[in-house]
Amino acid sequence: MPDGALTQVNAGAAHYGDPAVEFAALESGVGVTDRSHVGRLRLRGADVLDLLDRLTTNKLETLEPGEGMPSVLTTSKGRVVDLLTLTAADDYLLCLTSPGRQEAVVEWIDFYTFAEDVTVEDASADTAQLSLAGPGAATLLEGLGVDVSGLPTFHSRAYALANADVLVWHTLSVGTPTYEIIVPVAAATGVWEALTQAGAVPTGYQAREAYRVQHGMPVHAAEFGDDTNPLESRLKGAISFNKGCYIGQEVVARLNTYQKVQRRLMAVTFSGNAQIGDALKSTDGVAAGVVTSVAQVPGGGTLIGLALVRQEHAAPDATLLVADRDTTATLSEPAFALATEPVEA
Amino acid sequence: MATMQQPLTINITETAAEHVRHFMMVDGKEGYTVRVGVKGGGCSGLTYDLNIVPEAGENDKIIEEHGVRLSVDKKSYVFLAGTVLDYSGGLNGKGFVFNNPNAKTACGCGTSFSV
Repeated sequence: MPDGALTQVNAGAAHYGDPAVEFAALESGVGVTDRSHVGRLRLRGADVLDLLDRLTTNKLETLEPGEGMPSVLTTSKGRVVDLLTLTAADDYLLCLTSPGRQEAVVEWIDFYTFAEDVTVEDASADTAQLSLAGPGAATLLEGLGVDVSGLPTFHSRAYALANADVLVWHTLSVGTPTYEIIVPVAAATGVWEALTQAGAVPTGYQAREAYRVQHGMPVHAAEFGDDTNPLESRLKGAISFNKGCYIGQEVVARLNTYQKVQRRLMAVTFSGNAQIGDALKSTDGVAAGVVTSVAQVPGGGTLIGLALVRQEHAAPDATLLVADRDTTATLSEPAFALATEPVEA
Repeated sequence: MATMQQPLTINITETAAEHVRHFMMVDGKEGYTVRVGVKGGGCSGLTYDLNIVPEAGENDKIIEEHGVRLSVDKKSYVFLAGTVLDYSGGLNGKGFVFNNPNAKTACGCGTSFSV
């Protein structure tokens, strides 16, 4: 792998030669991406699950070792601080944040920690995160002695891989099943080499981003953030509607019960050029939404994107216009699994 | 005429103190401390916490009033300074009530607040 990868500063390459080959590996083979720029926190203490259950949308209180789930950190107004992915490891809770959001998440948790037995440690610098995605990922891991058969989505397990102790975590990080391999930094290069020698195609963020957009997975600062609620960003699968109170619950429950969600995240196929931030309008000129992500399918493929679209325009197969461009935008439902299905341990 | 600024503290009403003493007696916890505090959670962000404990926390602020010993941890005290702990009884009563001048908003059910 290139020098400088597997660090917080340079979390992998844009591509490793041919993004089209890398995209094809994600679709029909196995691709491995260095995602060490994702925030990783270790939370310890007797009150960790109780506290996070009170601060986030999903039902974490009964999480057993090895189990995991996504959960959204929300403000009292129901806006998104971050989407967290959590798993109970041996003696700590491992929490993935959006890239660059770990400090904000730590500050948020600290603010709401009073007498609880909770400590938070930023593990982003002392661990690396290799993400194995594609339909052949489980088989490839099994060939390396890592049997992930029967590992449910969002569950994790400790393994030995390339003489290193790793945590393998079944997630949906590109919108389809993915295995995140959390490894000490010193052992990361050895694990990367073992994976690539076994046939995983080194995959850069260009192919990975196109794959994410194609599968409709929202990310921070594009599809969700402090100006969106988790329902319009299609994070319903990370919300428990029967767990009781958490910060922002009243707003989120009301939006859901009375169907007051004003916008919805939609997948978009563009006929021509488009950029992030472009306004969308209906064919009769009414403001309809905004483009939040744009990606070209590698190999000269279609320009695709994601957009937050006003409810009355957010219908599958609807055609909108990109403002100030000669481009149409055809909408479809995002395929991301969290968009509809609750995910519970 | 200038008025003397009263130091911010936490007070307990005579009614609330009577109920605390009664509960302590029934539970055999006479001489215990009422530890009040704030927890993250509830729809609005912060909820109240009240426990009868054998000892106050090491760095707690201690207040004694109407024969009851109240304690509060320092971080919670920031959000509770000026609060009067009352008791609302009867069929429609809410039990112990925190009348907190720092609370700017509360959730629909009234159990959580934000500052």
